[in-house]
Amino acid sequence: MILSLALPLLQQAVSDTAGAYGHFPGIGGRGAVWIAAEVHLMFAAFVLGVPMFAVITELIGIVSKDSKYDKLSHEFTRLLVFAYSATALWGAMLLFALTTLYPKFWAHMAKIFSVSMWIYVSLFFVESFTLYVYYYGWERFRTGRAKWFHLALGVLLNAWGTTVMLIANGWLTYMMSPPKGVTAEGLPPGVTMWNAIANATWIPINIHRLIANAVFGGSIVAAYAAYRFLAAKTDEERAHYDWMGYVGNFIAISTFIVLPFAGYWLGREIYQYNQQMGITMMGGFMSWLWIVQAVLIGVLFLCANYYLWLGMGRIPGAERFVPYTKWMLLLLIVCWIAWSTPHTMIATRAELAAMGGAHHPFLNVLGVMSAKNTAVNLMILTTFLSFLIYRRANKETVVPWARTGTMIQGAMFAIAAGVVLFYGVYGYFVEAIVRIGFSVYQVLAVLACILGVSIIDAFIGRGAKSRGEIRWGQMPDRSQYALFVLAVTFTWLMGLMGFARSGIRQHWHVWEVMRDTSDQAFTPALGYAANMISACVLIFLSLVAFIFWLGSLAESAGHTEAAELRGVALPHGAKMPARGTAPVTGD
Amino acid sequence: MWKTNLKILVLALLVVGFYTTFAHIIPQLQSEVPEALALGSSVTPDQLVAAGEKIFNGAGGCTACHGLGTRAPNLITDYKGQGAIGARCGTRKPNMDCKAYLYESLTQPQAYIVAGFDPIMPDMRKQLSEDQIWAAVAFLESQGGTVDVTGDDIKRTSPAPAAGGAAPAPAGPAMTATLDPLKLYSEKGCVGCHQIDGKGGNIGPSWDHVGSRRSAASIRKKILNPSSDTTKGYEKFAGMMPGTFGTMLSAAQLEALVNFLANKK
Repeated sequence: MILSLALPLLQQAVSDTAGAYGHFPGIGGRGAVWIAAEVHLMFAAFVLGVPMFAVITELIGIVSKDSKYDKLSHEFTRLLVFAYSATALWGAMLLFALTTLYPKFWAHMAKIFSVSMWIYVSLFFVESFTLYVYYYGWERFRTGRAKWFHLALGVLLNAWGTTVMLIANGWLTYMMSPPKGVTAEGLPPGVTMWNAIANATWIPINIHRLIANAVFGGSIVAAYAAYRFLAAKTDEERAHYDWMGYVGNFIAISTFIVLPFAGYWLGREIYQYNQQMGITMMGGFMSWLWIVQAVLIGVLFLCANYYLWLGMGRIPGAERFVPYTKWMLLLLIVCWIAWSTPHTMIATRAELAAMGGAHHPFLNVLGVMSAKNTAVNLMILTTFLSFLIYRRANKETVVPWARTGTMIQGAMFAIAAGVVLFYGVYGYFVEAIVRIGFSVYQVLAVLACILGVSIIDAFIGRGAKSRGEIRWGQMPDRSQYALFVLAVTFTWLMGLMGFARSGIRQHWHVWEVMRDTSDQAFTPALGYAANMISACVLIFLSLVAFIFWLGSLAESAGHTEAAELRGVALPHGAKMPARGTAPVTGD
Repeated sequence: MWKTNLKILVLALLVVGFYTTFAHIIPQLQSEVPEALALGSSVTPDQLVAAGEKIFNGAGGCTACHGLGTRAPNLITDYKGQGAIGARCGTRKPNMDCKAYLYESLTQPQAYIVAGFDPIMPDMRKQLSEDQIWAAVAFLESQGGTVDVTGDDIKRTSPAPAAGGAAPAPAGPAMTATLDPLKLYSEKGCVGCHQIDGKGGNIGPSWDHVGSRRSAASIRKKILNPSSDTTKGYEKFAGMMPGTFGTMLSAAQLEALVNFLANKK
């Protein structure tokens, strides 16, 4: 009976859906767009993140006149050239997937954003040419004022890349938080394309992605360095890639520490835009996603600290800090467990009635935000402490106030931890609306500690005596595998967060403006999402491995050419006449 | 080197496999698309309850808050010795029976806030159709009470079919053509949060003398984009006002309301 009554609605739905969706074999249209978008995004994050520190590293090289930084920057950029093509290819695949599988939706987007799409493409061209001049002009612009011109090219490369990202972010955030009054037919009078781009979640996403790109780029570069370390044939090579891995990991973890704060801001904006969307994200069917996220971030913290602790083995004087690491490990594990404890238990109605709600009588204590915020802030503090002792390991301070300064630093840690714990416990005794505000105090205490301790540390190390040079290259192989785990986990985490951001729209292409009327309009469970994320991660990592291999081929070619030009014996035994110094790619 | 490559490959697969497995062993929740039920006048209570249970646990997203008992009262379990929602709904609000109270709670959630909770519930008409809302009411009544929702309730509150026999929209509040600001005040749910002459909710600022505080342009902006600013003293409720009035009001209705408020000096 219900079916017969629903017939007019079904006919309407069929009419709405006609011509709106294409067909993709096997995984369906949504799956195809999912993979194309995610892999494109992973490459895009890489090619946006790496230029940031390529330029910073080049600048350090110019100022310090230390050629190893210039070499490092050049090596970063070589990875970029190959990754750039992959980004463009996957972007084209995404575009074709959208136009053929979601034509009606894409027509809506094109109607609103057509001008920005042309600007986007134009900037992509400009960015590509800037990259090629930046990379291929490395030798031509090596010295004097030309080097500064080269650095300016790098800055420009970042500017183009960031602008491209801002435009694309405008499109995707529009799907989440369109301006008021928008309909499936387009923008209402008085609302411009700029209003659609600069929507409620645009700025927080921009900030979040900018930081996340640096994190991601750092971790992939560290993995590259780890691979080259393991493949190295000489001590010199091993030392270089050990150092490169450390730098990549340092960038990834230090920027990662501030990422949760950008995430809080984004979440707050989502709540402000639409309470329902915010609740779906944090308390609705997606609530378990944050448990998976906690597990991943716990692995990141553990691996990052493990890498640093192993690294202390190659630093003379670090042995005096080693006894503390087991306590830091214990704290990290306890915090990880607390953070990963679910708040809401999924249960049948009978079980809910027996428990008197959806909370487990014991686990509930750990599952609430008071415990989770406390745990994550303590993990951040612990990781910062690891960095600090790593940095301090081979230094013997000489300033007269060194002991007082160290005691002040210790007090700062103690105060920050005390504030975090105090508000964590106090949170159990106040209403939710008050408790939410406590996370701000906890975060501020941690940030203040990081800032204050870092400033003191910069001054306390002035004129410090060395307890011995860092023995770069003398790292156990397992440390490099920790870098791989970090890279895989960051990549997986990126896919997971992409699902969270996109999934909270549920059955809307554009939130409350354009419904998804396809047979794949439902938002899948985490198991299915995990399969898709893993597929994307494996595709991306396979292609990155291929790119790394290409990079090594280019380097070999560069070595061979240089050797030929210098008249060095070639592998086949031939010898070419020397013709002076020649550009050496990757040397 | 092939040994190292193999080790890296195995490590990557193990890490990816671990995360994938973990995501599979936790509860698998899928967000379903709200169904257009099209329940007719001859629908039975059992059919309503069955449809309502699906909405409560699925498309309605109700369990996000009402399944816990912290953000909002738990509706399935006992609350302060008053029983589940079906048992307590008839006595919750004076002179209002269970059915009317539950319907009001879903469509004008700010009209009555249970003591100790924040006014965070959205108007469910934004995402559920009338028959879905009534099905949810029937399901809630079945939790310790008597189901008295009928097909006539659905018929009474559903918007009339558009000319040409097209099917009604699956969700969204009823749109009428009235230009009477006081009717709009009541019909669009403004009464739930704003007071006029001492009547109405007090979640948002009173509409008395609003014209002396805001210009017509400011009032229009605030209605269309509630998050554009927050009236002093109401910061706690920032973000509460729905941003959908631009689509709920016709242009003429919006201007009628703006003129009315701007003149309330």
